[in-house]
Amino acid sequence: MLGYQNNILRINLTKKEAKTEPLRMDWAEKYIGSKGLSIKYLYEELKPGIDPLSPENKLIFMTGPLTGTSVPCSGKLAIAGKSPATGTICDCSIGGHSALKIKYAGYDAVILEGKLDKPGYLFIENDKITFEDAAELWGKGSHEAEAMLIDKYGHDYSVISIGPAGETLCTMACINSDYYRQAGRGGMGAVMGSKNLKAVVVNGTGGVKIPNIKEAVKRIAEIEKEDTLQEDNTFVYDGGTTAFLEACQDGGILPKLNFSDTTDEDWTKYNGEVLLESLEGKRGCGSCGLGCGNFLKMGDVVCEGPEYESISVAGPNAGNSDPVAIVKANQVADDMGLDTISAGDTIIWAMEMTEKGIRDFGVRFGEMDKYIEYLKLIARKEGIGAELALGVKKLSEKYGGTDFAMQVKGLEYPQYEPRGSWGMSLAYAVSDRGACHMRAYAPNEEVFAASIPPYTPEGKGEMVFNLAQWNAVKFSLCICDFWGTLNMELMAELMTLATGKEWTAADMAEVGTRVINIARAFNQREGFTAKDDTAPKRLFNEALKNGPGAGQKIPEEAFEDMKQQYYKVLGWDENGMLPESLLATL
Amino acid sequence: MSDANVVFTLFFVLRQEHLERMNGTMKRLKFSKEKCIGCQLCAQVCSAIHEGMYIPSKARIGIETYYDRGGSLKYKDSYCTLCGICFKNCPTGAISKDDRIKVDYEACTGCGVCADKCPKKVIKIIEGKAYICDTCDGDPMCVKVCPQGALRFE
Repeated sequence: MLGYQNNILRINLTKKEAKTEPLRMDWAEKYIGSKGLSIKYLYEELKPGIDPLSPENKLIFMTGPLTGTSVPCSGKLAIAGKSPATGTICDCSIGGHSALKIKYAGYDAVILEGKLDKPGYLFIENDKITFEDAAELWGKGSHEAEAMLIDKYGHDYSVISIGPAGETLCTMACINSDYYRQAGRGGMGAVMGSKNLKAVVVNGTGGVKIPNIKEAVKRIAEIEKEDTLQEDNTFVYDGGTTAFLEACQDGGILPKLNFSDTTDEDWTKYNGEVLLESLEGKRGCGSCGLGCGNFLKMGDVVCEGPEYESISVAGPNAGNSDPVAIVKANQVADDMGLDTISAGDTIIWAMEMTEKGIRDFGVRFGEMDKYIEYLKLIARKEGIGAELALGVKKLSEKYGGTDFAMQVKGLEYPQYEPRGSWGMSLAYAVSDRGACHMRAYAPNEEVFAASIPPYTPEGKGEMVFNLAQWNAVKFSLCICDFWGTLNMELMAELMTLATGKEWTAADMAEVGTRVINIARAFNQREGFTAKDDTAPKRLFNEALKNGPGAGQKIPEEAFEDMKQQYYKVLGWDENGMLPESLLATL
Repeated sequence: MSDANVVFTLFFVLRQEHLERMNGTMKRLKFSKEKCIGCQLCAQVCSAIHEGMYIPSKARIGIETYYDRGGSLKYKDSYCTLCGICFKNCPTGAISKDDRIKVDYEACTGCGVCADKCPKKVIKIIEGKAYICDTCDGDPMCVKVCPQGALRFE
């Protein structure tokens, strides 16, 4: 197939060796690239039971066949490994320009193995690979480290870096690029830190070939105009993800005070209108057509963001309505290299524990100076940060408060209240990397489109499967999900244009299912079963008081029923496990 | 003046008037940075159309945005404005200009004077030849794919 470079860069950090090998095209035909293909590589190459923070773990930066082409929204990079937060497989999707640089340098993927003997960074320029010393960068914030590297090499280079959180092996550490883009969840920053790798600097001056390129470019430009740039998608350019704030507020799923309730009458104090008054410019990733990035400047607080998740977790969920504090919290988290969702959820859980008198963590709802300080303490594992860095699952096992420790498998809850969108409790429970909104985005159907009633378990297994299948294949091409109107037919046409192989919509759906299955197979091999597909008891025991979902809580039987529906659709057994016959097809 | 001088001067004046008329109504690339999202689709399709693969390092346009130390958003706006300075300075006459720049690759020696003088720093010398925007024959592809209309041809 064309579109690929048919070339993998394999780096042994222990031996400081760089080798290239052909891409497993037979795997690419089944898993395509990015999400699916990186999981397949890890499934084949990682032994079960390894410590994710040991040199045995691998970190894969994987592009897809569309990366580096003019297909809109195709510029994201998959970053995958075994998660130190959960022990499951974890794949992230980072924006910016590094995916294109890696592809133009001549590689479909970079596989990082082993561990450097002391802090260093990797330099990649086409076929020139060097191992550099990072003594001057180690300990610095991600932003300063990136600035120092760009000063040295120039801004033609893309920098992928970790902050102090990755260096201290905090399991909420993210990986940054382009200052403000993250591979946020599951502690991938800690995996990079455990390899003593502070950064990867990459530039590429080569190219990507697709068949009949002149005709293809024109057809892709047509698709961009007719589909990508329609109003359903361009809201992303207008307001970015701040648009979700209003939708969630109206839909009764905006979480408040550590998911104890929904809707916030103060939401207009920090909404898109307010935040965008400080807009300096818009930014997108490489090959983007939509430009979701909002670069804000509020005095000396600067940030590309905040995204909906970061607004909610530092806003109503923390009992705060000050927009400057929200943006400052985002800026600090980014610089520290910390996942805003997991770190934020941990701090707001600590707020509730303190308020309830169960354990005094020294912070209460609304205390944003403390929140921001705690982000730094968590990243450096200093003071109370050393404890809080454990995350809500381990903390609640130690101190109580498990009922409102909002997490699944050790990954903290994204900012959608499941009692207002019951299918989301299922989506969080069965997601391959712990509680995640980027596998099955249930609120789209249950709340925004209102295509299925939210407060019932009926049909949710099928719904969550369809959403997860769609995202699984989309993130394997890879195309950003802000191209919301992208369907299986369009994906098949784009894949056919780029690779020269005939792909159909049915093929796309099949790949999506296969990717869900291989991720589950990885976790199954690590010992995960239905008992790990959980929901915090808050959802079962406490009814919402406000908003459209007032009075709603999810009966535990309904939750278990949704799980069984989902397993059945996929052909898994009642214990949520793939039978041998299905494993053999992977 | 001799007859030859009169004819020569007349020719020159008429040619100037023709060029000025053309320049007044001639279409050129225009760029609005407020609408630019830094996607670089322009460079991608430019290189695809001219080189037969997506290779932005060989594109005849170079528009980018980048963060300066994370604190401010900067724009690099290298695109051909048809100013004609390359044409006026080419020592071999390889460059010609009417409503677009054309490079005669037989005559181009890759001396790089055009790239040095280009005020937009958009000309590249690659393997001994000058890569200069040719407006895709009056229908620029970069303009077609620019998602937010930052690039126009008018």
